[in-house]
Amino acid sequence: MAYPLQMGLQDATSLIMEELLHFHDHTLMIVFLISSLVLYIISLMLTTKLTHTSTMDAQEVETVWTILPAIILILIALPSLRILYMMDEINNPSLTVKTMGHQWYWSYEYTDYEDLNFDSYMIPTQELKPGELRLLEVDNRVVLPMEMTIRMLISSEDVLHSWAVPSLGLKTDAIPGRLNQTTLMAMRPGLYYGQCSEICGSNHSFMPIVLELVPLSHFEKWSTSML
Amino acid sequence: MIQLLGLPDSGLRRPRTHRQLSPRRCRLGVSRDRTPVGGEIEAESHFAVPLPRLGAAAPPGTRAGSSQGRPRQDVPTQGLALGKAVGRARGRAPRALVPLRPILRYSLCRPKSPSALSREMFFRAAWSLVLKKAGPGMRWMHSPGSAAHSERKMPPYTNYHAQRSYPMPDEPFCAELNAEQRALKEKEKGSWTQLSHAEKVALYRLQFHETFAEMNRRSNEWKTVMGCVFFFFGFTALLIWWQRVYVFPKKPITLTDEWKAQQLQRILDMKGNPVQGLASRWDYEKKEWKK
Repeated sequence: MAYPLQMGLQDATSLIMEELLHFHDHTLMIVFLISSLVLYIISLMLTTKLTHTSTMDAQEVETVWTILPAIILILIALPSLRILYMMDEINNPSLTVKTMGHQWYWSYEYTDYEDLNFDSYMIPTQELKPGELRLLEVDNRVVLPMEMTIRMLISSEDVLHSWAVPSLGLKTDAIPGRLNQTTLMAMRPGLYYGQCSEICGSNHSFMPIVLELVPLSHFEKWSTSML
Repeated sequence: MIQLLGLPDSGLRRPRTHRQLSPRRCRLGVSRDRTPVGGEIEAESHFAVPLPRLGAAAPPGTRAGSSQGRPRQDVPTQGLALGKAVGRARGRAPRALVPLRPILRYSLCRPKSPSALSREMFFRAAWSLVLKKAGPGMRWMHSPGSAAHSERKMPPYTNYHAQRSYPMPDEPFCAELNAEQRALKEKEKGSWTQLSHAEKVALYRLQFHETFAEMNRRSNEWKTVMGCVFFFFGFTALLIWWQRVYVFPKKPITLTDEWKAQQLQRILDMKGNPVQGLASRWDYEKKEWKK
């Protein structure tokens, strides 16, 4: 989850998110370089004693500042596309979980072996236990086995929603009448929080997602207990 | 608008630019409020001296409100010869008041009949009343203040388009020269070593409206700007304070120190963000933050 005075992205729990973190560092560095160059040039413009402002011939610098941005853009696009295709690799998931967005909660279906369905509502602030996170805790968490590839099928029963878990690098729209698929693999156990990411009405800010990643044996125990 | 009313346009809506002066008839050797061109005129340039005006009809004493009958710098009078004009500025009438100056510049440019003069007096008085009501904060009050030039045309239309980025236009500032000025231009065609310093300055003033030093002079505008900025900071602060007291609801229980401590303990227990984030800064063996 996010912590106070956080400056960047949350730590990666999946391998894709690690890749995205590195890509973000790379792109942000380019952005910082360009911004500081522009700021420096602006400060030069504002403090110059030179006064000739009419159009002058500037073929060389025009060539440079056409070619160089094109190169920079290519340097951004190539890693980006690489990660994009990496996300879509064939990976043979061990488990399929379906999640449906509603106004204003998520429901989950584990139907590979038995029929396990439950709803996941946010816990109101007055009912939180001491130390819990406001607007992030839910009554029924999504328990999943860690270090296993899981297919998530995401859709909606009413309006658009979006199922997002930042530390796994996941965000997929829940569109009524459509089934979207994403792949989940967490390398660490723990609780991972996310929030609905598509405006869906008055309680759009109050339908979070909590994944509880546990070892496989714990998952089996849990799913048995839920049936 | 002002033109429509028949009032002389003082150009008060923006700081003095060259367009406030009609360059058609320029007073040779006059440099009112300007930085001197050449050091030796320094003491004299603040006192404008009227020039010999050939064929002027109005004797100096006929102006209503003129003081002591001295030649006033703001109206065309029978003045002194050029040679004396430069050297005799000391002790002359002080500069015209700020509100009156812009009008008077305009009126400089044409010789006036007595009825025209009294009309002008009326307009000047009326206009100064308007000006006194203009209040603080107008940029010309900080003058000298230079600012961006406008492309607005002012009567009389001029061909003088000098700017900071185009400082030496072909068209001179004073296009229509009187006889004396024409004589000077003829003299300019000869050897320049024959020109006196005063004549060189006069030629400069014919050609250009302002020197570089005048053009680049600082102003006090920044004080007004910063004052307004801080004023609005303070006003915003007032609004925010009022909001906090009268509008915002009670803070949720999760923002109390006790809850925040328990929350932090929970996050550390579940090792949230253990790679580079929060839990990575906690030393689990020593049970304290890493140094």
